[in-house]
Amino acid sequence: MATIGHNNLNAKLVLLGDMGAGKSSLVLRFVKGQFLEFQESTIGAAFFSQTLAVNDATVKFEIWDTAGQERYHSLAPMYYRGAAAAIIVYDITSADSFTRAKKWVQELQKQGNPNMVMALAGNKADLEEKRKVTAEEARAYAEENGLFFMETSAKTAANVNDVFHEIAKRLPRAQPNQNPAGMVLVDRPAEGGARAASCCS
Amino acid sequence: MFGTQSQKDLSLETPFSRQSIHTRRAKITVKFQDLYGFTVEGNVDDANILNEVREKVRQQGKAWWALEASKGANWYLQTHVSSALKSSLKFSNLVNAITLKKLIRKGIPPVLRPKVWFSLSGAAKKKSTVPDSYYNDLIIAVEGKVTPATKQIDHDLPRTFPGHPWLDTPEGHASLRRVLVGYSFRDSDVGYCQGLNYVAALLLLVMKTEEDAFWMLAVLLENVLVNDCYSNNLSGCHVEQRVFNDLLKKKCPSIYAHLEALEFDVSLVATEWFLCLFSKSLPSETTLRVWDVLFYEGAKVLFNVALAIFKMKEEELLMTQYVGDVINVIQNTTHHLFDPDDLLTVAFDKVGFMTSTNISKERKKQEPAVMAELDQRLRRLNSSNLDVNSGLT
Repeated sequence: MATIGHNNLNAKLVLLGDMGAGKSSLVLRFVKGQFLEFQESTIGAAFFSQTLAVNDATVKFEIWDTAGQERYHSLAPMYYRGAAAAIIVYDITSADSFTRAKKWVQELQKQGNPNMVMALAGNKADLEEKRKVTAEEARAYAEENGLFFMETSAKTAANVNDVFHEIAKRLPRAQPNQNPAGMVLVDRPAEGGARAASCCS
Repeated sequence: MFGTQSQKDLSLETPFSRQSIHTRRAKITVKFQDLYGFTVEGNVDDANILNEVREKVRQQGKAWWALEASKGANWYLQTHVSSALKSSLKFSNLVNAITLKKLIRKGIPPVLRPKVWFSLSGAAKKKSTVPDSYYNDLIIAVEGKVTPATKQIDHDLPRTFPGHPWLDTPEGHASLRRVLVGYSFRDSDVGYCQGLNYVAALLLLVMKTEEDAFWMLAVLLENVLVNDCYSNNLSGCHVEQRVFNDLLKKKCPSIYAHLEALEFDVSLVATEWFLCLFSKSLPSETTLRVWDVLFYEGAKVLFNVALAIFKMKEEELLMTQYVGDVINVIQNTTHHLFDPDDLLTVAFDKVGFMTSTNISKERKKQEPAVMAELDQRLRRLNSSNLDVNSGLT
């Protein structure tokens, strides 16, 4: 690696959720700061990377933005396998998409990496007048299931960066030690030296 | 093949060499329209290549016209040696077949595409087995019906090549909708699968009429491609991915070994290729050149092309250290393949000979494992639903 840091880490992150919930739009907003009213439908999955600085650490997200249509479900394990984090996205104007989101949570709980940091994102929060899923309901569900919850709007950018920041903050604590799948500590110094070095920096 | 040690050694070189390629390429970015109206972003070299391609297309047109003049308008239909033709005709048919295969690999001129595709793919034959009014009747019969498929299609219409000067207009949306909705009723197992929107859109751009585009879609799904590519859980697509994985291992062993060490699964990039038939990855004329061959030689062509993309970038791929780097190399390559011949030369002259029979055998070999895996997954999911539900109550 070009830069030497004690807290540089790569984290695989996957976005899951119903078709049209706004997964690709969230990623586009986060990675490029853009929004398109009509985002091309994703086939298979799209890949992006983006680096975030959180406190002393740098987190390089390797983001897998997956296709939402139900039949693509069978491809999903390839993308969430070994993922350090997941954002499960639903559309606050669609009750169906919230049901789908819950299914994804169940699947990840059973088959994903057990230390995975999971976020529930209620997207399209700018469409308040069309709302079908209340924030209270979603928050209660998230708390019950150990996810953190935010309502987002890829259109207005509300809370979009915050979701990724919050994940980045939670990552090291979620997986502090040995080589968790999907999260590779880069240039980790020899045992023992690590603590001293991070104190001094 | 590449242990961690050698990866570390390479790490110093990678950013360096990548930068030099980038600085050379990325000096000036220009936007221009390609032959089929798509706006593409590229550098000046790309724009120049596209102009050269236009010229090559014109030359290719002359070659086809010359053949029509000497052999007759529909000479390419007389290529089936095995049919019950008189023996005196057989030799000329064989000659035609060889000429045609070569000619098609060099590209069908855009003006002739609708006619040649329609005949050679089997779409004409398919259409001829039903009454002339089939398509119109179908469209009238399904009008106003709402199904899960139609809802998904409506959702995807403005998301299919947004910004295209015709596809992204009310007229374009309506046309694409009729083709996709019509097909979803023709084959309810397939219904609508995301990915078909791109395929059908490109067919509409090429074919003269909407009805012909519909029949091309039908012959593609029912005859040209492997079964169940788009239906239920995409099992056909899973099979193709596994076949491709094995082919890469066989044909490009060093790339394969390197990618395996990085835990790169080929389907991370190839799923989109096989479901959209490259329409979302390659520039339009390059995609259509692939389709020229696809409709004549069959679905094995997709493997030739997919292998070629990896093979073309062998050196760069061997330098990659992360899965993300691999994807960037591949995407950067596909998006800039403005000269179809660069790709097709590798696909047909350098990846080695593959027959449709061999590919079929490979598919048969993979099918049981895919079915077992999909089955197992479903069972696990169902049981996990029960567990979670009971845990909550």
